[in-house]
Amino acid sequence: MTTAYPAPNAEPQHVEGHEKHNLTGFIIFLCSESVIFLAFFSGYALLKTSALDWLPPGVEGLEWQMPLINSVVLVSSSGTIYLAERAMAKGNIWGFRAFWLLTMALGSYFLYGQAVEWSGLQFGFTSGTFGGTFYLLTGFHGLHVATGVGLMTLMLIKSFIPGNYNGGEQGVQATSLFWHFVDVIWIILFVLIYVWQRS
Amino acid sequence: MTPSPAQGPRFSPLSVIALIAWVGVLVALSMWMGQLSYHWLPVQASTAAPLVDGLFSFETAVGTFVFGGVISVMVWVIVMHRAEKYDASDAEPIEGNTRLEIIWTAIPFVLVMAIAVYAMRVNTTLGMLGPMEHIHLRSSVEQAGGYPGDRLPAEQVEVIARQWSWEFRYPGSDVSTTELHLAVDEPVTFRLVSEDVLHGFFIPAFRLKQDIVPGRAIDLNVTPTREGRYRLRDSQFSGTWFAANQADVVVESVEAHQAWLEAAARQPLQSGLSDASLEYAQRGQSRKAGWATVPPAPPPQVNVPGSNTQPHDG
Amino acid sequence: MTLATFPASEPKPSWTRYFSFNTDAKVIGIQYIVLAFFFFLIGGLLAMIIRGELITPEADLVDRTVYNGIYTMHGTVMLFLFIFPVLNGLNNLLIPTMIGAPDMAFPRLNAVAFWLVPIFGVLLMSSFFVPGGPAYSGWWSYPPVSIQNPLGHLISGQGLWLTAVALSGVSSIMGAVNFVTTIIRMRAPGMGWFRMPVFCWTALAAQSLQLIGLPSLTGGAIMLLMDLVAGTTFYDPAGGGDPVLYQHFFWFYSHPAVYVIILPVFGIFSELFPVYARKPLFGYVYVALASFIIVGLGLIVWVHHMFPSGVAEWMRNLFMFTTMLIAVPTGVKVFAWLGTLWRGKLRLTTPMLFCLGGLFNFVFAGITGIMLATVPIDLHVSNTYFVVGHFHYVIYGAAVMGIFAGIYHWFPKFIGRMPYEGLGKLHFLLTFVGANLNFLPMHPLGLMGMPRRVSSYDPEFAFWNVLASLGAFLLGVSIIPFLLNMVSSWVRGPKATHNPWNAIGLEWLLPSPPAEDNFGEHVPVVISRPYGYGLGKPLVEHQAEIEQALALAEQQEAAR
Repeated sequence: MTTAYPAPNAEPQHVEGHEKHNLTGFIIFLCSESVIFLAFFSGYALLKTSALDWLPPGVEGLEWQMPLINSVVLVSSSGTIYLAERAMAKGNIWGFRAFWLLTMALGSYFLYGQAVEWSGLQFGFTSGTFGGTFYLLTGFHGLHVATGVGLMTLMLIKSFIPGNYNGGEQGVQATSLFWHFVDVIWIILFVLIYVWQRS
Repeated sequence: MTPSPAQGPRFSPLSVIALIAWVGVLVALSMWMGQLSYHWLPVQASTAAPLVDGLFSFETAVGTFVFGGVISVMVWVIVMHRAEKYDASDAEPIEGNTRLEIIWTAIPFVLVMAIAVYAMRVNTTLGMLGPMEHIHLRSSVEQAGGYPGDRLPAEQVEVIARQWSWEFRYPGSDVSTTELHLAVDEPVTFRLVSEDVLHGFFIPAFRLKQDIVPGRAIDLNVTPTREGRYRLRDSQFSGTWFAANQADVVVESVEAHQAWLEAAARQPLQSGLSDASLEYAQRGQSRKAGWATVPPAPPPQVNVPGSNTQPHDG
Repeated sequence: MTLATFPASEPKPSWTRYFSFNTDAKVIGIQYIVLAFFFFLIGGLLAMIIRGELITPEADLVDRTVYNGIYTMHGTVMLFLFIFPVLNGLNNLLIPTMIGAPDMAFPRLNAVAFWLVPIFGVLLMSSFFVPGGPAYSGWWSYPPVSIQNPLGHLISGQGLWLTAVALSGVSSIMGAVNFVTTIIRMRAPGMGWFRMPVFCWTALAAQSLQLIGLPSLTGGAIMLLMDLVAGTTFYDPAGGGDPVLYQHFFWFYSHPAVYVIILPVFGIFSELFPVYARKPLFGYVYVALASFIIVGLGLIVWVHHMFPSGVAEWMRNLFMFTTMLIAVPTGVKVFAWLGTLWRGKLRLTTPMLFCLGGLFNFVFAGITGIMLATVPIDLHVSNTYFVVGHFHYVIYGAAVMGIFAGIYHWFPKFIGRMPYEGLGKLHFLLTFVGANLNFLPMHPLGLMGMPRRVSSYDPEFAFWNVLASLGAFLLGVSIIPFLLNMVSSWVRGPKATHNPWNAIGLEWLLPSPPAEDNFGEHVPVVISRPYGYGLGKPLVEHQAEIEQALALAEQQEAAR
């Protein structure tokens, strides 16, 4: 019940306390960010269930094999980022960098796969509510994946500052948390868009 | 409702009597306000109106009592518990009272639940007078081909809302008009559709309101109970001439209504009422400052335009 | 703990810091409040035009398109550029000082959040000058009206409106993350949850609501913007969309937004009544917890704004019950304030008068709120002036008056000078009479069936409208003594001591105005609950020494 505010005399502790705020703030932000996805998901479900003609003319449905491969890639990157974090906790900075880079590669592959899928579709953003919600959901999620890869790049660069990560790094924890968040969102999104195709 | 202090012994019998008397005054005041509240509303012209007004009167009475109670306490403390000049001391430190907290959680809870249950019963009765609404998505066939008159029962009136005019179609008599005519004490079903944006179907004298949603057809049942001329107002903001999007509702005897329908059917089609179109035409001439607007839809072609300038009852 | 020796006089910081990217929460707080009142004047001017138009039944003062633009901008400016910024300003001033933190958790984020406000403010104002004029579809911006875009330009008033609202959302989320983190992590030693001032409880509750609700509006607004500029059909029935979907997104946020506004004002009431009644807050724990019950219930009542929109009967009944339940925790608060006043020693200072007036108006608004929650009555009065009257009683009658109370109460603390009582009481009188004269006649108008947002009306509504307009003009005048008071007392008001109201709270153990890092390294240890009036227990360790040091510094200052 009482607070964890640092003792009022130690300057270094003060800075560390400040660092801890970052993670708290970031978790609060993620909770808030999840609501925007929730809004999009519920909008999607509502439009889909109430639609008279859900699919635009000439569209049979979505091909799901390639997105499934993409999903496996993205979900497994949650594992690699966990391994990267573990490596860092053990002080193995090169192990961290290796797994971190692998995660970035998997994330980038996901974005590439998404782009390939988009370019092969025969409907656009304005093809009724189906097209609109499809591109809105996948695009908004893709934006988050891209942000995640960007954050990881930043953390990777920061890892080369000598002694920077000696006491653990909140930025790395936050990025990793963000990445897991993006993964979970994708799983829900995949179920909603690709698995639930029959209306 | 007034938080009479927990320290019972400090209250003399006289003050208890005074408190009871004051509560009595408040009760009388509340009942009077409840009766008065009927006069704040327009005339009752549908079967729904007495039910809504009864509920409103009840809530006005309860609300007056609560408001009066709270304000009495405020006035009392402002008058009686003011600090003396130059008295800088603190008052007696009463930090709380769990029993009081329970009381003033439980009483409002019971009170609002009672109101809610009463309101739900009114709701159910309103529903029995005729289903409040029945939503069905308009199929694309209907949208394209206009209005399939032969499938609708005779007492059904199709209400078409546009930017900014109202059109009423009587499929049984093949009549269309921009002034709504209804027979007194005869149930009628409105089929509400919009051709552009959201509109609101609101006849204050009927105590009815229903948004009209483009892409849906919404059924609304009503039974008028009083002859007279009333106003139908657009209640959901619909753009530039929203305020001018009003029509008259004429409730007449069954015979008069039948005669009106027959006479109307013989009239040739002509432009109906649309204040927006008139103002829009003037707007082109005068150079009064204004911002961009969607042009009004052309006035509907109807048998009887009617009027929307005659004195109305509510 | 060694005693802090407060320097008798610091080098006076330059006034230009108010126009810079300053990261001190106290500077940001004042920036927020001053900017908010600048927009308050603009929003008020728009209100004067609205009431000027409505003083006669015909649409004769301005063109109908202009009227629609003006009422839309009035609501938008007042909500997004006045009331949210002014509350964030109070949060910035009060949260760190009340919990003994040196600053907010993320000072730079704080400054960014503030500077977004003038940016989207200018963006919104610029929409007056684009071809076609500003957004005109009300602050709800319900589609399809809001996506009609008469001129068809890519840059339209509605597009700018949506962009501004989205930026406002970004700013509010930044603020909310900051406030919540600060309250959770930076409280003074010894300040457990139940030793935290109620204002911080209500701020925490309100900002939690922002975090949960705002993304829904943002998501809905993104889809609306796509419909407007990119040609999607999320809300356009012609393309399979559903206009009612937007209403759910909108009200899922915009109903809780009312609690975001009113909860901190409850906090102000809870802070001020004990000070000016010289009694502890009655049932502190219940008052604090009631805030979070309001948060929980506030998230599940939004459909009551949509009773006539075409929602199912069971939904109407369900949301009627949840809405009714909100009266219970709100009642707990109201009765707690009455319990605080009861047998107190009331001092009718300007802040106390504003609190009492605000409470009066709030109780009235609560009763009309119950009426609006009952479906059959709502079906008659929704979208009429009854609703306009109801929410102006809440927002102006209760919230703005509470905010004025807070400003008069904490002005000495953060400016270091006393506001004038005479002008303050005149301001109160004009505000209270003006608000009631303006907003009470709206209720009979609504009951008679006058829809809101109309630029013209039937002649039978003229009487009450003339009264309302006169009240509005009085309310317009009421701001003059306030501005005079603020400017003159800021420049040459009597110097304030550290605790001019003899109040209990960490902020009153700081000099007036406080140093940039508040307590700095010497945060006092909190040892008792707030509002210990008449109990004789100190709030913090070494309280007597701290107060002596403050008084000594003030004497030296005065002697100089």
